Amino acid sequence: MFSTELVIQTAISGVMIGVLYALMALGITFIYSIMRMVNWAMGEFYMIGSYLQYMLVAFVLGPDLWWLAILISAAGVFAIGVVVQWGLIKPIFKKPPEARDDYATVVTLALLLFLRSVATGLAGPNQFTPGSNLPIVMVGPMPMAGARVAAFLFALGALALFYVVLRYTWYGLALRAASQSRVGVQTAGIDVLAVDRIAFGIGVALAGLAGALLAPVFLVFPTNGLITTVKGFEIVVIGGLGSIPGALIAGILLGLIESFGAAFIDSSYQNIYGFLLVLAILVLRPTGLFGERGREA
Amino acid sequence: MIAAFEAIGLNKRFGGLQAANDVTLAVEQGEIRGLIGPNGAGKTTLVNLVTGVYRADSGDVKLAGESLTGCAMHEIARRGLVRSFQVTRLFGNLTVRENLRTAFLARRPPKTDRHGGDGEAQIERMLDLTTLRPLADTHAKKLSGGQRALLQMGCGFMVPGSCYVLDEPFSGINPVIKDAIIDMIVEVNRRHGATFLIVSHEMTVIRRLCPKVTVMMEGRVAAHGTLDEVARLPEVIAGYLGKALE
Repeated sequence: MFSTELVIQTAISGVMIGVLYALMALGITFIYSIMRMVNWAMGEFYMIGSYLQYMLVAFVLGPDLWWLAILISAAGVFAIGVVVQWGLIKPIFKKPPEARDDYATVVTLALLLFLRSVATGLAGPNQFTPGSNLPIVMVGPMPMAGARVAAFLFALGALALFYVVLRYTWYGLALRAASQSRVGVQTAGIDVLAVDRIAFGIGVALAGLAGALLAPVFLVFPTNGLITTVKGFEIVVIGGLGSIPGALIAGILLGLIESFGAAFIDSSYQNIYGFLLVLAILVLRPTGLFGERGREA
Repeated sequence: MIAAFEAIGLNKRFGGLQAANDVTLAVEQGEIRGLIGPNGAGKTTLVNLVTGVYRADSGDVKLAGESLTGCAMHEIARRGLVRSFQVTRLFGNLTVRENLRTAFLARRPPKTDRHGGDGEAQIERMLDLTTLRPLADTHAKKLSGGQRALLQMGCGFMVPGSCYVLDEPFSGINPVIKDAIIDMIVEVNRRHGATFLIVSHEMTVIRRLCPKVTVMMEGRVAAHGTLDEVARLPEVIAGYLGKALE
């Protein structure tokens, strides 16, 4: 039963799904690190990404242009994010009330309910799946659905792009600086609310990208973002809130644990194994693997 | 002549405390003005009012004759009014070099090449001026208090501003670095004709740098003049200095 081949297969599929979870977690942690708020509607941006992908593939572009549909879906979610930040989030930050993050929580929870209702109202409680005509691919010894492999490679590309932008561009520098001192960047003449807008857009676009990439795998329906959001938050707790390497490593870790649990214990509890890891982390290292205790003002 | 920097009748109340009470002061182009007064006199409140951290209840701030009322912090900085903080606001997880680069990013002069050239050359100059070159690739959070103060000054001077408001730039800093900061201030003042308003308790430094000082007490301006003139005023001796300066 514990053949080497099975272990390798399980590890591969764990890493592949883990990278996609990491996209979601990265979006949550990135928005938090800049704006010091949790966007509870992340799953709804994932959902919007998956619907956009489905509609583009089913009605506009066809399955051959799935990759173009993914780029458009992610860009579309970015645009929606920018509008949401401008209309709902920025007013909270412009004249900060006493408990800014509490306001942000209420606003994003309301947004969550609103977006779900809109999706249900427009598309009904049905499940859709964008067709994929990608062939089965052999990954090492294991045959895998082409859509999964494509999603994995796309996610890796997105993560690499994210890293390059953050590390080597002026925008990246402004984003990294804003994550460390909001007063500091304003003193340097940088419009911190404009930085927020880009950060929020990028953060939700990462969730939208995950939604678009996973649409053929996990289906498209109004609450499809829920499970992935829960996993995103699990990863954030494991990796440490605000830590970008933490999100990546914990994402892969979660993918591996789920995958091994499903293969060697019981696949019907797949969504529970991650929680065991969360519990262990909270007991042993409450700040998460890469989290920092407190912050400089 | 239009003053380089002007506060006109600024008022700010925090609950029951009148932190700034009809504060009016004007600093001439190229002047280095000291701002002194006991703790709680409203010096930092004034700094925060003129740099947009707080919004004044009433009154106006003018930079070279133009009102700054309603401007956000970053707009004020871009117009050339640059400040430093008593508790340095650096980017701890960025290197010294990246901190300087961030300071250049938004305030750079128009038509400069932001992807290299001008900014990088200025960073090199500033690493020499601040004597921080050996630490160029060190994270700012690893610097000592004095080195942080130097870096903060360096960030402020990356793009020459027209007016600098420095809040306690010398507090808790060793004499060598203190001298280095004084040299930087004098250099920027002479070379660019920049105007300075310096909040400090260090009378020896104030005497060295500032031909004129403004004294604040209990939220209002108590006196203007040379340090020796104001140091003779009974009110200033009673409320701040405790005894006459030697």
